[in-house]
Amino acid sequence: MQRTMEIVLDWRLHVSVLIITIISELIGVIVVPIGIGSILLLPLLYAFILGMLINPNVIKRAGVWIKDSDVSAASPLIVIAIMPFIAKFGTIIGPQMEQIIDAGPALLLQELGNLGTIVIAFPIAVLVLRMGRESIGACFSVAREPNIAIIADKYGLKSQEGTGVMGVYVIGTLFGTFIFAILASLLSTAGIFSIEALAMACGIGSGSMMAACTGALATAVPEMKDQILALAGASNVLTYATGIYLGVFVALPITEKLYDLLGRKDTTIKAGE
Amino acid sequence: MNTSETQMDPTAERKLSLSAHALVLVIICAIGLVGNTVATDIPIADGFVGLIVLYVISMVGLVLTELVPIKLPSVAWISLIGILATLPWTPGSEWIVAQATNVNFLTLATPCLAYAGIAIAKQEIDIAKSSGWKIFIVAVLVMTGTYLGSAFIADLFL
Repeated sequence: MQRTMEIVLDWRLHVSVLIITIISELIGVIVVPIGIGSILLLPLLYAFILGMLINPNVIKRAGVWIKDSDVSAASPLIVIAIMPFIAKFGTIIGPQMEQIIDAGPALLLQELGNLGTIVIAFPIAVLVLRMGRESIGACFSVAREPNIAIIADKYGLKSQEGTGVMGVYVIGTLFGTFIFAILASLLSTAGIFSIEALAMACGIGSGSMMAACTGALATAVPEMKDQILALAGASNVLTYATGIYLGVFVALPITEKLYDLLGRKDTTIKAGE
Repeated sequence: MNTSETQMDPTAERKLSLSAHALVLVIICAIGLVGNTVATDIPIADGFVGLIVLYVISMVGLVLTELVPIKLPSVAWISLIGILATLPWTPGSEWIVAQATNVNFLTLATPCLAYAGIAIAKQEIDIAKSSGWKIFIVAVLVMTGTYLGSAFIADLFL
């Protein structure tokens, strides 16, 4: 295990992040118009790609600059790096507390919308893609850290359910910011949902995904920026607070029941091979 | 065998001490200040004070995470402190809000994602490769599902 100070003072890592930040901010927001709306490319997305490009696990030749020890040092720093951002969100929510209380019922109830993962993803995973019990772990939630803890606790991470939740977690880590930036920019320009509703939906329970989601929304509708950030931030705090309970007491039992209804009976035999 | 499981479990992340957090946050805020100055027209001195305010909020949140027996993630405490410090009823909140306004919210997320890109482990790439296209489709649907589901219900009750 690395010593704490080696992680903290890993200058090669911090200098890389500094340079990536400068490059990304110099490029700035790029708007790509497509048929039904437009997609916003944000500096944070470039930063993620540039980070991957100097990651020796992705590009072998990057190993001359970034070592394996830098890669493992970067991991605990992600959570710390998001903290000033989360603090900033708090300072946007506070002044708008009255509007947030007005939106209270919608804000609370939309947490149930996180069950949309079961409505949309689960039937396709089981019926179309013919997946086994990994569909339970994959579809009961958006698969961020608290949800992994639920599955690890109940089935263990080496179970089929564990494979499912880890698969979605990893894809979310790799592509989540892009997916939410695309979803938010398309829907904000398509006009199906109100901007307030889309803002609340950005509270996913992951700092970086919320950043991509709100960034796209606020860039698309700059005149509503403060309101978007306040609603998304409040919803994100609620998701931190309620997510684990929704997962344990509602989402996972429902997914289990649905699997008994829809799932193939032969998957249990296959698993026993 | 068991070690690979604990290694892969992102919930079992290494804990850094409070003083290490304090030091890393200084570095993060310094990078954030450079980003803020590059991305916006805000003078570096104003951004500097803004980031000090955000630094203090983060540190108070971290201290509470250690002290309060209720187990909440540190980001939950930090946002709570940020909210409480800027409520209209809180004395001095106007000054805090004014300082924080000098920091662009989106720029603050940029360094975090640079770390995230560098932190991607070999195991994560292996999992993505071995899970294959099915899990990719499911993951996209999962994210679309939570977003559409929340937006749909929120729209009903607004």
